[in-house]
Amino acid sequence: MVGIVMKCEHLWKTYEPHLIAVKDVSLKIGEGEIKLIFGPSGSGKSTFLRCLAMLTMPDKGDVFLRDECLTKPGVNLNKERARIGFVFQHIWLFRHLTALGNVELALRRVLKQPKEEARENALKALREVKMEEWAHHYPAQMSGGQQQRVGIARALARNPDIILLDEPTSALDPELTGEVIDTLRDLAGKGTTMLIISHEMPFAREIADEMIFYDGGTIVETGPPEQFFTNPQSERAKKFMTRLIMKTRRE
Amino acid sequence: MMLGGVTTTLAISIFSLLLGLSIGLPAAFVRTYEKSLRFLVEVFEKIFRGIPELVLMLLFYWGIGLYVPFPFKNAIFTATFVLGLRSAANQSQIFRGAIRGIGDEQMVAARSIGFSKLRSIVHVMIPQVFVFATPGLGSEYALLVKDSSYAFVIGVSELMFDTIMIRKATLDAVTPYLVSAFLYILLTLPIAAWLDNWGSRRKKKLGV
Repeated sequence: MVGIVMKCEHLWKTYEPHLIAVKDVSLKIGEGEIKLIFGPSGSGKSTFLRCLAMLTMPDKGDVFLRDECLTKPGVNLNKERARIGFVFQHIWLFRHLTALGNVELALRRVLKQPKEEARENALKALREVKMEEWAHHYPAQMSGGQQQRVGIARALARNPDIILLDEPTSALDPELTGEVIDTLRDLAGKGTTMLIISHEMPFAREIADEMIFYDGGTIVETGPPEQFFTNPQSERAKKFMTRLIMKTRRE
Repeated sequence: MMLGGVTTTLAISIFSLLLGLSIGLPAAFVRTYEKSLRFLVEVFEKIFRGIPELVLMLLFYWGIGLYVPFPFKNAIFTATFVLGLRSAANQSQIFRGAIRGIGDEQMVAARSIGFSKLRSIVHVMIPQVFVFATPGLGSEYALLVKDSSYAFVIGVSELMFDTIMIRKATLDAVTPYLVSAFLYILLTLPIAAWLDNWGSRRKKKLGV
């Protein structure tokens, strides 16, 4: 049996007054697993992902990173967040640092690696996303796809237990999406544990161990990709998949 | 004769800018990120932005200086101190705007890699905040140079004081003022322009 890397139990997050973004959600992700969340915008997927990384504090419920409960009082969340890689939809690289600086920062200042070692590890991570040649460029000098690959390297470099990706390609045009997807495919091949919010359906079918349809603040349906492509169980998932597949075909 | 005055004016302006920076920058971060202390910063800002510098200078030099002669009976110190506090209140607002300009996203990204709030501020926000604050800082510096002229009322021998002395000695009411006006422009313009230019170049580099 595979070890559980991350799980949450009965997670809730409500925004005032009545917007429930996360409604009693429970989820487990095992070692090396890739799970893909999809669903309509505004359904609370991003909030859910942020709650898992404790970037947004859940109101109720528990989040576990391996055996550590992140939601109990007195946990050093900064230390725990360093074990979770997070990739943002709108990238959010540190503008004042080069690609190398972005990746190196946490290695040096959070993991306290010596200068040489941090540099070596940062370059290794940049190599993995094929951005080593751009190490000394600033974010403003790169394309969106290149920036997002640096964003992935930044999450990857500290060898996190899991990487959470919040629609990593939705802000990019199709061509740039392709290069980011290639990077994620490489990571998947290396057995990286990932929870990805994405609507890239061909990619999902290829790499996801499980797909999760999220709507109205909760998990509506989970199953292997094939189930969603051939025979979604819930009415809502069926409708959403039809639209997604049509859109993908058009593109 | 005016050269000594120019040096004093420049010294008061620069040191009060630095004093303002050392209080204003932390105050801006406190006001943005520490809800419990926000009130204190607001009260400080309201007080020092609301009272004329002239009143503050006279109050500290003649009033408080009476009871606490050291250091307030040193006129240059008091002038710098008062202008520094006033500048802190202004700079707190300038930097708060700059923090807003940087955007909360940079903070969230910093937290996501394992930084505490304080370390996110040190490693991610502060390196960017000056770039966003340059237009405001430039005019704040110019304001301080001009407002340092109030210091003549407590007897600081700065540019304004010297100008008045020369007028009295020469009985010429035009030339000394024109010269001093020119010197004030010379003191403010190049530094403010340089700051502005530096800010624009850095902004381009950051892509904002």
